[in-house]
Amino acid sequence: MPAYMRTMLKIENLTATVGEEDEAKTIINGLDLEVPAGEVHAIMGPNGAGKSTLSYVLTGRDGYEVTGGSATLNGEDILGMDPEERAAKGLFLSFQYPVEIPGVPVMTFVRAAMNSQRKARGEDEISAPDFIKKSRELGQKLKLDADMLKRPLNVGFSGGEKKRLEIYQMMMLEPKFLILDETDSGLDIDALKTVSDGVNAMRSPDRGMLVITHYQRLLDHIQPDKVHVLAKGRIIATGGPELAHRLEKEGYDGVLGEVA
Amino acid sequence: MTTALRDLISNPNTAELELIARYGMQPEDPRRERLFEAFAQTGLPTRRMEAWKWTDFKAALSALDRPASQSASDPLASDDALCFRFSPDGFEYPKDLPEGIHLFVKPEPQALGSAEDVPLGALAAALAGSKTRPGTLMIEVTAADLPRLHFAFGGEGEASFARVTIVVRPGAELSVSESYLGGAGFLSSVFEYSLQGDAKLNRTVYQRGADQETMAATALVQLEGASEYTQTSLAFGAKLARLETRLVHKEAGAKAIMNAAYLVGKGLHADITTHVRHGAPSCITRQMTKGAVLDGGTGVFQGKFHVPRTAGQYTDADMQHKALLLEEGAVVFAKPELEIYADDVECAHGNTCGALDANQLFYMRQRGIPERAARALLTEAFIAEAVETAGDLKDILRDEASNWLAES
Ligand SMILES: Nc1ncnc2c1ncn2[C@@H]1O[C@H](COP(=O)(O)OP(=O)(O)OP(=O)(O)O)[C@@H](O)[C@H]1O
Ligand SMILES: [Mg+2]
Repeated sequence: MPAYMRTMLKIENLTATVGEEDEAKTIINGLDLEVPAGEVHAIMGPNGAGKSTLSYVLTGRDGYEVTGGSATLNGEDILGMDPEERAAKGLFLSFQYPVEIPGVPVMTFVRAAMNSQRKARGEDEISAPDFIKKSRELGQKLKLDADMLKRPLNVGFSGGEKKRLEIYQMMMLEPKFLILDETDSGLDIDALKTVSDGVNAMRSPDRGMLVITHYQRLLDHIQPDKVHVLAKGRIIATGGPELAHRLEKEGYDGVLGEVA
Repeated sequence: MTTALRDLISNPNTAELELIARYGMQPEDPRRERLFEAFAQTGLPTRRMEAWKWTDFKAALSALDRPASQSASDPLASDDALCFRFSPDGFEYPKDLPEGIHLFVKPEPQALGSAEDVPLGALAAALAGSKTRPGTLMIEVTAADLPRLHFAFGGEGEASFARVTIVVRPGAELSVSESYLGGAGFLSSVFEYSLQGDAKLNRTVYQRGADQETMAATALVQLEGASEYTQTSLAFGAKLARLETRLVHKEAGAKAIMNAAYLVGKGLHADITTHVRHGAPSCITRQMTKGAVLDGGTGVFQGKFHVPRTAGQYTDADMQHKALLLEEGAVVFAKPELEIYADDVECAHGNTCGALDANQLFYMRQRGIPERAARALLTEAFIAEAVETAGDLKDILRDEASNWLAES
């Protein structure tokens, strides 16, 4: 079977809660989703629908408990793995709110991440010259100057710079499956183009992507194969790129009223 | 031993009796007597004394015993430094010193200012040396561009005492390092640093110890003229380890930087205590202490700025203490104090204590960095700021911190 027909991410009847035991709240509620290799799927949905929650459940964040269903990446159950194991398997999340890591320069951080992943996969570490070369090339592509990459990760960076740094990390680490959680929010028009070009450069027959966004605008740059609507913890509508256009025009009430 | 001596300390424990016996073996000298009396007023400090409430030497040191542990290797030793080696059996010092460093080795003890405030410092001064070997090292520094002076405290034995006095004359500059490497059941040292004119001194202190060892390193620092004093300590603790600095700004324009980091594992205790007196106007103090403690470890920070009413005018002083509790069961006690009587001053302090940030840890793990490594990286970055000031030795201190984090 050619790679592009293979299902990469497969989520079946997933339910998950958020919060401490006694006040745990079910946020993901019977969610099904399949993303084949080579495809880009967009997820849209109202605020509080559970989009970020889904990305945290898939990446294994503490406090997000799976209470039913399954999720596999390339046929492997990922829900039992530590976050770092999932990362080594190629799962990457571009955070809606990237976290500041004081005292750890961007390049030090990414090199530690890259070598940890390689070690977990039984590969050799990247050599310092190779790493620097790769970093410099990407920095130029993403318009991140060299000084910026020496600063502590995300500390004091503007919102848009943080998002560009997420894409820089993604392109350095070359993950197999990407989740972009509102990577477009906070980006100016030029940065949106730069970031989208970066993401498009990552499209490949053996890579899958899930793009969470509120805006059709991003999907003009990153053309999705499918658009899903997530509401109340499940996928309630799926369509082609035209669905995003309809949502933009009619709003969630218009579209959801119809399917519900 | 005379009963009079024995009576000096009320309810002495075995360790105190042994200390009295050691004192009885010393050559008689009125200055020594005053020093020992200053110690005997309190005996080994206990938790009932405010300044020692978290670091109780009397409870920890019941007798002077040789520990099962050996001294650690010394990361600060270097061929480029002039090395002074102290052990429970005495000390060795370099015979050839460059011009600009003058060494006086004195058999008799010298008076120690404010001895009553530093009971263990007074004890060190009273018991340093013996009938057969000198007790006080006095060093006068009159030049700049000198090799670093390194004082290494190692070797195995019951107890080790040392006293060193360093005077840095106007215009002179010096780097000094002290390594406390463990091996003695009890160690007490007292260093007096006196900076004159526009002298500069950079002091680095490194401390390692094991769970049968107690140690106290006391520094008494006096800044005259527009001198500049920089101090950086890295402590890993022992059964009890206390690094205490008492600094006085004596003339307008002096500047002191006093940074410290403590990294404390199970069964160990590290205490960073500082006391700064702004005894002259327009002096500057900058102090940053950072700590990270594992389950079963104890960190103590006590810092005090004393700013008298007239003398302390235009003081500019800042004291920060930040601690990380790396695991449940880690303990940190902190007491930052500002005692300010002058009205035109800029004094600030901050004190925080908490765990590593869960958001940061998850973010790092999502990128593939295993939890342990993520914790180590965050902790190392957190500590780094406090050892930045160690000049040429800062990378060594940072590596030591990083190795400790990797191993624990
Ligand atoms: N730790 C938590 N405790 C309780 N409720 C939580 C917690 N985290 C998230 N929630 C709730 O879960 C719901 C889904 O949040 P989530 O962040 O997944 O929404 P989202 O779809 O990403 O929204 P947005 O478009 O605003 O980013 C929200 O109602 C939120 O308040
Ligand atoms: Mg969200």
